[in-house]
Amino acid sequence: MNAIPVLTIEDVATLDGVLGDFLKKTESELTVVIDRGGNVISQCGDMDAMDVTVIAALAAGSFAATRELARRIGEVEFNALYHQGNGKHMFMNSVDDETIMITVFGSRTTVGLVRFYSTATAQNVANVLKLLRRTSHGLKFDAKDISAAPVFADQ
Amino acid sequence: MSIINYASREIQFKIVYYGPALCGKTTNLNYIHQRINPLNRGDLVSLATATERTLFFDFLPLNAVVIKGFVTKFQLYTVPGQVIYNATRQLVLRSVDGIVFVADSQWEKMEENVESWKNLCDNLALQNMSIDDTPCVLEYNKRDLPNIAPVNYMEYVLNNRKKRLQSFEVISSTGQNVFAALNAASQILLHKFSKQSEAPQGAPLPVAIPVEPNSPQAQKLPA
Repeated sequence: MNAIPVLTIEDVATLDGVLGDFLKKTESELTVVIDRGGNVISQCGDMDAMDVTVIAALAAGSFAATRELARRIGEVEFNALYHQGNGKHMFMNSVDDETIMITVFGSRTTVGLVRFYSTATAQNVANVLKLLRRTSHGLKFDAKDISAAPVFADQ
Repeated sequence: MSIINYASREIQFKIVYYGPALCGKTTNLNYIHQRINPLNRGDLVSLATATERTLFFDFLPLNAVVIKGFVTKFQLYTVPGQVIYNATRQLVLRSVDGIVFVADSQWEKMEENVESWKNLCDNLALQNMSIDDTPCVLEYNKRDLPNIAPVNYMEYVLNNRKKRLQSFEVISSTGQNVFAALNAASQILLHKFSKQSEAPQGAPLPVAIPVEPNSPQAQKLPA
């Protein structure tokens, strides 16, 4: 039985609350929760400044690539990664086996503060997703709701 | 597998272009990026070496409205074809929803095609998936070259199974059948999640959808 897990409006509101609180406390610009395949699950913050879809794909790749580095020193994986820029920085931390949280922040805050609050936030997000995976029934579409026309057109 | 976000009414699907080295996976994505309405696509991100060999992956996000009431986001990835990058292929395949397998039609590439296909099946098995349960289409690429194997032979080598996959003769450098293959993969993928997905799938498929030399696509080659 193939069905897609559903994030309900209530689930989204709960995640938004958790992520919004995190952004406020850390004064970060953007935080995105993604699965390890690079799909965006939830996002909060200034989304106009960045292409979240591309950031998610690259971050998932970056996180996975460093697993091999971690193995070389006897770790299963690195729980968190930090990329330091001149004005903007990125912090990524593991939420659970399937999920990663990305935070983009500027000079108004510090990596220490982001790291400190990200631990509790990741735990809260993990709890929401755990409940979702346990209770979600998944969705199947009505075949008549799927357009029969070619999905993409060569222009 | 992705999650439906009911608040934003968005669904995301991940389609991976898989195949041996230099078979034309990146060329497929380049053509799609060039020809699709810019309003429906994001940036093409390419993590390649200085010689344009894919090092990590290429990534192209596309938007479409194909399911009533939902914005459907398709994320197209390519894998690095070179044998040594298997760990990278495994991570790109993670959470995959659909596959376009690009085979090189040249005689001397047949062994690499088969190896890559086996590698795909092995890597899917690592994440408890099977090619039989995963929406997949075959592209027989480079049909414009002189030293190519006939389609029947490629079907025998790559598509010789009880439930045959839809296959396309493709010239990715000019774009012929590139969109046809992508659209077929997308439709199979979408219908996997429809309530009637258990409906007939066993209907015999035609031999590879042929390239049409005088098709409108052939007349308007990209610059």
